[in-house]
Amino acid sequence: MNRSWTYILAALGIAVLIGIGLFSSRFILYLTMRVMILSIFAMGYNILFGRTGLLSFGHAAFYATGAYGVALCTIHVHSHPVLAVVAGVIAAAVMALIIGFFCVRHTEIYFAMLTLAFGMMVFSLMWNVRGITGGDDGLSGIIRAPISLGLISIPIMKDSQYYFFVLMFFVVSVLLIHRIGRSPFGLVLASIRENHVRTEFAGLPVKRYRLAAFVISGAFAGLAGGLAVFLESNVTPFAAHWSRSADPVLVSLMGGLQTFSGPLVGSVLFVVLRELIERFTHNWMLWFGLILLAIIMGFRGGIVGSTAALLKRSSEQG
Amino acid sequence: MDGQGMKRRDFIKAGLLTAAASALGPGVMKPVGLWAATPSIKGPVKVGYQAVLSGTLAGYGEFHKMGAVMAVEEINAAGGIAGQKIEMEIRDSTLAAPTAIQNVRYFVDSWGADLLAGVDSSGQALAVAPVMGQLDRVLMVTHAATEKLTEEEVFKKGVRQVFRICTPTYQDGNAAAFVAKDLPAMSWATINPKYEYGFTTWNMFKETLGKLKPGVQFTAESWAPFGTTDFRPHINTIMDAKPEGLYSVVWAGELITMMKQAKQAGLFEKIKHVMLPVGAAMDVLEGLGAEMPDNIWISGRYFFLYPDTPQNKDWVARFKKRWNHYPAYVSETAYSTMFAFKKAIEAAGSKETGPVIKALEGMELDGPAGKRVFRKEDHQAMYDVPWGLTVSSPNYPFKIMGKQIVIPAKEFFNRPPFEGDASKPPFKS
Repeated sequence: MNRSWTYILAALGIAVLIGIGLFSSRFILYLTMRVMILSIFAMGYNILFGRTGLLSFGHAAFYATGAYGVALCTIHVHSHPVLAVVAGVIAAAVMALIIGFFCVRHTEIYFAMLTLAFGMMVFSLMWNVRGITGGDDGLSGIIRAPISLGLISIPIMKDSQYYFFVLMFFVVSVLLIHRIGRSPFGLVLASIRENHVRTEFAGLPVKRYRLAAFVISGAFAGLAGGLAVFLESNVTPFAAHWSRSADPVLVSLMGGLQTFSGPLVGSVLFVVLRELIERFTHNWMLWFGLILLAIIMGFRGGIVGSTAALLKRSSEQG
Repeated sequence: MDGQGMKRRDFIKAGLLTAAASALGPGVMKPVGLWAATPSIKGPVKVGYQAVLSGTLAGYGEFHKMGAVMAVEEINAAGGIAGQKIEMEIRDSTLAAPTAIQNVRYFVDSWGADLLAGVDSSGQALAVAPVMGQLDRVLMVTHAATEKLTEEEVFKKGVRQVFRICTPTYQDGNAAAFVAKDLPAMSWATINPKYEYGFTTWNMFKETLGKLKPGVQFTAESWAPFGTTDFRPHINTIMDAKPEGLYSVVWAGELITMMKQAKQAGLFEKIKHVMLPVGAAMDVLEGLGAEMPDNIWISGRYFFLYPDTPQNKDWVARFKKRWNHYPAYVSETAYSTMFAFKKAIEAAGSKETGPVIKALEGMELDGPAGKRVFRKEDHQAMYDVPWGLTVSSPNYPFKIMGKQIVIPAKEFFNRPPFEGDASKPPFKS
């Protein structure tokens, strides 16, 4: 797509998001926040999945680590939300470094199974250390203290205020991920996906690059988890369950693996579709599954991917 | 890379825009809810109900639904609440905390619910409570039993919007101990679920029984994770320890499995005193049928043969006629919830949250389960549910509660301020 178009679209997107923040009802705010949080999770995840070609089934572990990092920091250390989020992201990155160290030695199904196993290990660890994590009851009532910046402090207690906190992290994340994709580092990741043997022959330390991608995507997962804690004001070990790990995979597949904005579009669909279906039927899981199936099978390369291909073909013909 | 400069500038622009918007945000706040200006009750009373309607426990959700739907039909047929009809929407809670939060937000902010009810798991109840404070709507919990909900969230943290109409874990832990103290068993063991509900109830049972009957011993514990299908290792552990009594809050389908496997292993010949705090659930009694041994101590949050009043008998008969089922305890709590809402709104003359909370606090309610009082301090409904021994009956295709023992709620419910031994039974007065 033309570069100026990208800018116009991005500016439009931010304008719409700010507009939603200022003028819409509490429920729309809530849904939009959930979309943004899921987007951060999925776009970060896609650095590993779409970009590097590694399918992880354990990213909920980092999501939950970020979430517990934020919750524990708020309760025991300091209630400053920015500090808590930073702590959560660091905790998630460290966890990703440890788990990634063992996982990146393998690829394909072995990698997927290893990440799944480690993910469930983190889940059962959180389930069992009840004194710290609260067992299956989790930790609840995590409050959003005002962000104090020396002289002034910005309250984020209300949803309409917290929205802009999430929006800020969302915009920063999108820009960062975009930047990573365009950087030499991002190109190396793509070359690893295409042919890791050749990349290795080019003299690049493939495992280290994989590990870096793993840690970066883990850190974004942690950020998403941390923001979700403040949104829902609670966290339980289920945040680390493998079913949560499936969310970014589905979202990326729906939107388009090889595209930058795919996971974003996927997140919007994921949240909005479920919300709509639940209004019509209690069997929402069945219908949701069917629609996901149709999207994944019907749109090759996801919604964004296939739309882009369609536009390209029509412009070539015209 | 000529794009770098541009992007950095964009980055700053975006940052500034966001910052500006966050500064503006609080200033352009929405006016308060629609109801704020409404003096008296206008329009239908909208109740958002959530229960588990998918997965292995979906049967529980159906029982919630039967009770709630029946109450709404009856109230509307008799003229509604203060002349207004009840409108109810039911949503699947899936047992996951984020879904429960999503549901209450949908109900209040999108659908426009006046009151909320339902919620099955303790984790969900604890997660939803602070949100109820934010959304400022009354939530009547009909199934989740954790005492932390009323002790911590309502009493200590002051979430006044949350009430609970079903018996909490006191029924499972404390009341069981009151029954156990009169049994000729001096050593107890447990097979309990490996999550908070299992840990809490066993601790409560141990603590209270230890006080009531000094010298009693607790000899073995075996923890079964959620989803256990093979209880034989757990059963063997317990039988090896040779206790005189077995206590277990394993529930629903897992309890059915455990009872069948325990019977095969001959556990009931070796251990004479078995207590199942949630054994009187209809899904368990119907599911086990004749396979449920006799003389097992069972209880629940309501049992359809108690109290022996015309009101209860009449309700059970109507329920049987309407749904071709005997009411499960969640059916009773869901049914009574609607009548609690009716009574509170009519007393308050308003469906706004503040007046409804005031009316509910300390309110008496007559329902199929008998007389309830919503304790003012922690919003917990006080009412009596019997413990009893299983027995066969020619009138029912399943075992029922024979010999019934009723321990008055005020004797074993923890008391405010929920700190120290003085708040826990046994009480002097």
